[in-house]
Amino acid sequence: MRKLTNGQFAWLLMAPGVALFLAIIAYPLVSALVTGFFEQSLVRPGRTFVGLANFADLLGGDFWPVLRNTLVFTIGASVIPFVLGYVLALALNSGLPGWLRGVFLFPWVIPAVVVSFLWLWIFNANYGVLNGLLGTEISWLGQPGTAMAAVIVTKTWSSFPWMMVMLLAGLQTMPKELHEAASVDGAGTIRRFRSVTVPHMKGIAGIVFLLEFIWNFQHFDTIYVLTGGGPAGATKTFAVAVYDTAFKGFDLGHATALGGLWMVLLLVLMVFYLRKEAS
Amino acid sequence: MNTLNRRDALRLLGLSTLGVTALAACAPDASGGAPQGDTAAKAFGFTSWSLNEEAQKAAVQAIVDGYAGNEGVKITTASFPYNEYLNQVTLKLRGGQLTGAIQLDVAWLGALAAMGKLRDLAAPAAKGGYTEVALSSGQSGGKQLGLPWTTGSIGLIANTALLEKAGVDGVPATVAEFEAALRKVAALDGVIPYAAATKAAQLKDILPWMRTFGSPLLDGDTITVGDEPSVAAVEWYKKLYDAKLIAPDVDRFDARALFAQGKAAFYDDAIIARGVVASQAPDKSLADKMAPLSRPVLKAGDSPQALLWGHVIAVVEGEGADAAADFAAYATSDTATVARFFEQVKLPPTTTAGLADPKVSGDAFTTEWTEKITKTATANPFWRYAGYAQIETAIAEQVQAVLVGDSSAKEALAKATETAKGLQK
Repeated sequence: MRKLTNGQFAWLLMAPGVALFLAIIAYPLVSALVTGFFEQSLVRPGRTFVGLANFADLLGGDFWPVLRNTLVFTIGASVIPFVLGYVLALALNSGLPGWLRGVFLFPWVIPAVVVSFLWLWIFNANYGVLNGLLGTEISWLGQPGTAMAAVIVTKTWSSFPWMMVMLLAGLQTMPKELHEAASVDGAGTIRRFRSVTVPHMKGIAGIVFLLEFIWNFQHFDTIYVLTGGGPAGATKTFAVAVYDTAFKGFDLGHATALGGLWMVLLLVLMVFYLRKEAS
Repeated sequence: MNTLNRRDALRLLGLSTLGVTALAACAPDASGGAPQGDTAAKAFGFTSWSLNEEAQKAAVQAIVDGYAGNEGVKITTASFPYNEYLNQVTLKLRGGQLTGAIQLDVAWLGALAAMGKLRDLAAPAAKGGYTEVALSSGQSGGKQLGLPWTTGSIGLIANTALLEKAGVDGVPATVAEFEAALRKVAALDGVIPYAAATKAAQLKDILPWMRTFGSPLLDGDTITVGDEPSVAAVEWYKKLYDAKLIAPDVDRFDARALFAQGKAAFYDDAIIARGVVASQAPDKSLADKMAPLSRPVLKAGDSPQALLWGHVIAVVEGEGADAAADFAAYATSDTATVARFFEQVKLPPTTTAGLADPKVSGDAFTTEWTEKITKTATANPFWRYAGYAQIETAIAEQVQAVLVGDSSAKEALAKATETAKGLQK
């Protein structure tokens, strides 16, 4: 019997994984990219090849406000929980009671849709808790400025615990001797944070931030439940816009073209992530 | 080691784009194929949003159980919330995952008919004893694609106790009187005078107001949204919004909740409102204080505007379609069933015999509703287009832009019309 070479054996082992990848990732992806070149409706049979017309339509109109909203949401919902998570991780690492870690993790274990509904009631203009507490009548989800802020607050609440745990894990790998040596040399708390903690945490903090940024760039449920992309498109990010175009507007051609543009931007982020991880 | 420089990467990207474009040009159509399955099968599905709504769930389930028990068939039920329903049904129908009977809003029939998967129910329709108006609500493209389950209208409902408390005498008949009544109600603490839709999902409710101000919405195939009357209607709506006579963040479900809590004096709903609100209201006498009223007119002598509304049951061609069609006929035309259904949820039947049943004909609220609202109700002219939902969404999003101060009524409606023109297919 002929023996398999190492290379053939490796391919044999990879075959099931490759087959699954081709069936559930590659084929739908290529199929979706292909659809972007057609005028195709979800409710009508048939389709017409239109070349790059769908992309031209998008770049001449909806793409830019959606990109702006996506960036505002992504930056806000990455930076704020990152800072909050970092502060809490430092506090927990500096002697805050350990059981608080469990308490802070609580928002993270609740499904995103449930969290979103909770905040939907909190922010409701007519019978919401927030207006009740503040004695105001602000339409938090009904005004463009406050709607985006509300969405970012909600996402912050659900994602800061994950960042906190990851950063805390990073802090706990830091040798105590480094801080002790810096103290002996006369460094104060802020100086030790700047010169010892930050350099040590640079790698993990970068990865945590970048991952959160990528996830937020694709985030859907919080925005969809809270505002549905409104008011007047003020919170319409790529995820919501693609969903609306495909499944409410039934316009598969424009939806997949927008998805294609969105994917290109995500690929750029992925390159950053892979480089960061490699370094 | 070989590395990819930027120029190579750009070349690769360009080649990939060309490759995908070439692949696209040769790609086959991926839309669903012909219906499959045994049409005579004794098991079928029934998809209904009413099974997701507390006030109607038990009554609809009783119809399902009653038919399944009598006929010895198996009915598998499925449900989605109303606001997601069309989307879910469209996806499942396209993917061939939906069989049997489906409850549909009359507004959706045109869009789903375009998919070519619904059975023509002309034969059971001819035997059902339906009224002509009801039958027409289930027709699309010259075919009877749905059996009418209920036919009514969407109109204004008032809380008479709140109006009395605010010192509003009589029912406002004109827009000016209506606005004056809203201003009086606004003086009551914690009450929203008119819980009108302000969320995009339900802002299509502004269309009857546009008609009230004199816009036909559609003239032949020309969209008239953006004409002077429709702009005046949106400016008036914005005036109510700024004066807090209507409230932000309101859709049908919020409006029902506010009305049920006695925190809204007026709101728009279908006749089903009485059952839904009564089931939510802490004040058990609220149903008696609810009064349907004709939509105020711009000037005396105008015809009050209301939107025709109703449900039909359609049948997907394929697995179990014969039994599903029989179930649709039973649910919509069996007199005892429709009368009992009316008794439970107050949705008027669509057959002559059903309407003549004492349980229905003796109901004062239904009679009043029919006289004041349904009598002058007309269909939404955009329903004839498969893309009607997108047209409504385009208008709703632009009206919302006006409400939040992002755009003027004139600019917003011009933009909405531009978008809508591309959807008239």
